[in-house]
Amino acid sequence: MYQLTNVTKLYTKGRHTVPAVRDLTLMIGDGQWLSVQGRTGHGKSTLLNLLGGLDRPTQGTIAFDGKDLTRLGENQVTRLRARSIGFIFQTFNLVPTLSAAENVEAALIPLGVRAAERRRRVDAALDSVALGDRARHLPGELSGGQQQRTAIARALVKEPKVLLADEPTGNLDEDTRDEIINLLEKLWRERGLTLILVTHDSAIAQRAQRVGSMSKGVLTIRPT
Amino acid sequence: MFFFTYLRRELRRRMRQAIFIALGLALGIGLVVTVTAASAGVKKAQAQVLKSLYGVGTDLTVTGKAPKPPSPTTGPAKNGQTFQIGPNGAQVCTNGKCHNAAGQTIDHLDSTSYSPISQSTVAAISRLKHVKAAAGGLALSDTSVTIPKNFGKPGGPLPTPNSFSVQGTDTSHLSLGPLSAGTITAGRSLRASDTNSDVAVVDAGYAKAHKLKVGSTVTIVKHKFTLVGLVEQPQSGSPPQVYIPLARAQALGKAPGKSLKHDVNTIYVTASSAATIPAVQREIESLIPSATVTSASSLAKQVTGSLSSTARLANDLGRWLSILVLIAAFAVASLLTMAAVARRVRDFGTLKALGWPSRRIIGQVMAESLTVGVIGGAAGVGVGFAGAAIITAVAPKLTATIANSTGQGFVSGGAITNGGGPRIFSPTTSHTVAVPLSASVTLTALVAAVVLAVVGGLLAGSFGSWRIARLRPADALARVA
Repeated sequence: MYQLTNVTKLYTKGRHTVPAVRDLTLMIGDGQWLSVQGRTGHGKSTLLNLLGGLDRPTQGTIAFDGKDLTRLGENQVTRLRARSIGFIFQTFNLVPTLSAAENVEAALIPLGVRAAERRRRVDAALDSVALGDRARHLPGELSGGQQQRTAIARALVKEPKVLLADEPTGNLDEDTRDEIINLLEKLWRERGLTLILVTHDSAIAQRAQRVGSMSKGVLTIRPT
Repeated sequence: MFFFTYLRRELRRRMRQAIFIALGLALGIGLVVTVTAASAGVKKAQAQVLKSLYGVGTDLTVTGKAPKPPSPTTGPAKNGQTFQIGPNGAQVCTNGKCHNAAGQTIDHLDSTSYSPISQSTVAAISRLKHVKAAAGGLALSDTSVTIPKNFGKPGGPLPTPNSFSVQGTDTSHLSLGPLSAGTITAGRSLRASDTNSDVAVVDAGYAKAHKLKVGSTVTIVKHKFTLVGLVEQPQSGSPPQVYIPLARAQALGKAPGKSLKHDVNTIYVTASSAATIPAVQREIESLIPSATVTSASSLAKQVTGSLSSTARLANDLGRWLSILVLIAAFAVASLLTMAAVARRVRDFGTLKALGWPSRRIIGQVMAESLTVGVIGGAAGVGVGFAGAAIITAVAPKLTATIANSTGQGFVSGGAITNGGGPRIFSPTTSHTVAVPLSASVTLTALVAAVVLAVVGGLLAGSFGSWRIARLRPADALARVA
């Protein structure tokens, strides 16, 4: 699925250059679940952005299904993201003016799916996260857990190959956290997704097939 | 469908801001529409004044130069009369023979305003390139004075001159000249068959004042003309009071020292198109250097009074004020749209992460901005209509002051001489007419409003779009985090 070779990402802040990711070489296979742990500011989210094509490395190559993301144009990366990569954010990032169903539907818009098909897939996605009865609710009318489930439905509705989750339980209480992680694990197993999950939480990280730890931009994969 | 749902929801979410932007644009566009309407109203009023002076379809007027007043030392012309006031009272002397003037009525029809132009010039002008039609006319003044008994003696009464203007009208070109601007309210107009008839059409206002009606007679230089129709001229202007066939006016009229039998003093010209008017004006000026050639635009410049000040106000202050308000409205709309985009960075970053291309997000923002612009434009048109209605309702009548001939004679010095009889001069004075200002929203103003609304919306949206285009999704998401 992913082949990262000598990937480095540097940020320039004033006169200082900060390495967010350093010389990372990593292979992530189809259907794998990789958890990445680490303290805030050590490059976890940057890695996720690089994997999702939201950012470009300063150095190195990132191959996704054999395509080098660093050589693709912005439009090609956007198309690839629309088709194959699902995102889940810590702050849910739902559009506040759109209902749960419309937020999920938004993920199908760039794919040019016809309206009737969109509706069918949205209903199925919301049902898969047990939110079928909340389809018309605005994000503000949903609990944190429900909002994150909506975000998961949005990420999955396009049937992506990869799910990139950035601290998906960071804003949730303990019970809801377990509920969301159980849901993600279930979907990962059922759909054969490649799941890359960034988390602070060791308990969650340990549920993955592979667990990596990021410190000062260096990722160390622990043997399982 | 999703596009419109998102559009509607976002506008509803920022309703107050959207209303504020729309109101700003409405104010700017409304002001433009109002000023354009007022300007159109002023132009209409100007056209009304010019129409009454010119007649329908006249592009240029050619007039002979104003005659010079005789010097008091000038002696009588051959066979001329001298009007003297001596110890025996008023006397009229011809070739040295004098007789008492008491009780006599002196009636004459003079070309007091303009020098004569040969009628052959009319044909010459009509043959010029770009000239569609030309017609001659005689603007004359009929003045009669009855000398009272004991006039000139100590304590004796003064004579009261009676004067009215007479327009010799070319009955073969009735579509040109002052008569063409009027509406026949009773009887009929002059006809081609009236060329040599003693018939007249009288201004309705003059007829009312002198209790004239169709069938009455008007005396012009001791000739009785039968009144065949009444004409009502546009409200503005100083229309001729009596219209008679040109040939009759030529036969009866006099210019200093000569008859007007083969002359006119005004030529009305229609150019082949509006674009050729300046060329025609140059050609006529070259053909008759001594004549004065007046176009509607040059005549408009001579019109003074509140009409011209309002025209200047509408054209200068109004235009700049509208432009300033529009710029302010556009700037506010742009700034608020940029601020709205800044507040939605997370949404746009998320949409980009979902795979929305930038152009799709830009399209969404542009559509929102355009919708606000169109709403503002629609409201602006409403404001414009209201503004135009208010102007029409409350604006006082405009006054247009035009320099023209009074037809009223005056006597100076002891003796007045003339080739054929006593001569009374009609000085050029100012004539003020009141014109109502009716501001009307024109199609041009509506088109301008739509264009401005679209431009305002697109301008505001483009600033926001520029920001979105530069937005990197990772930065947007990181900024929020």
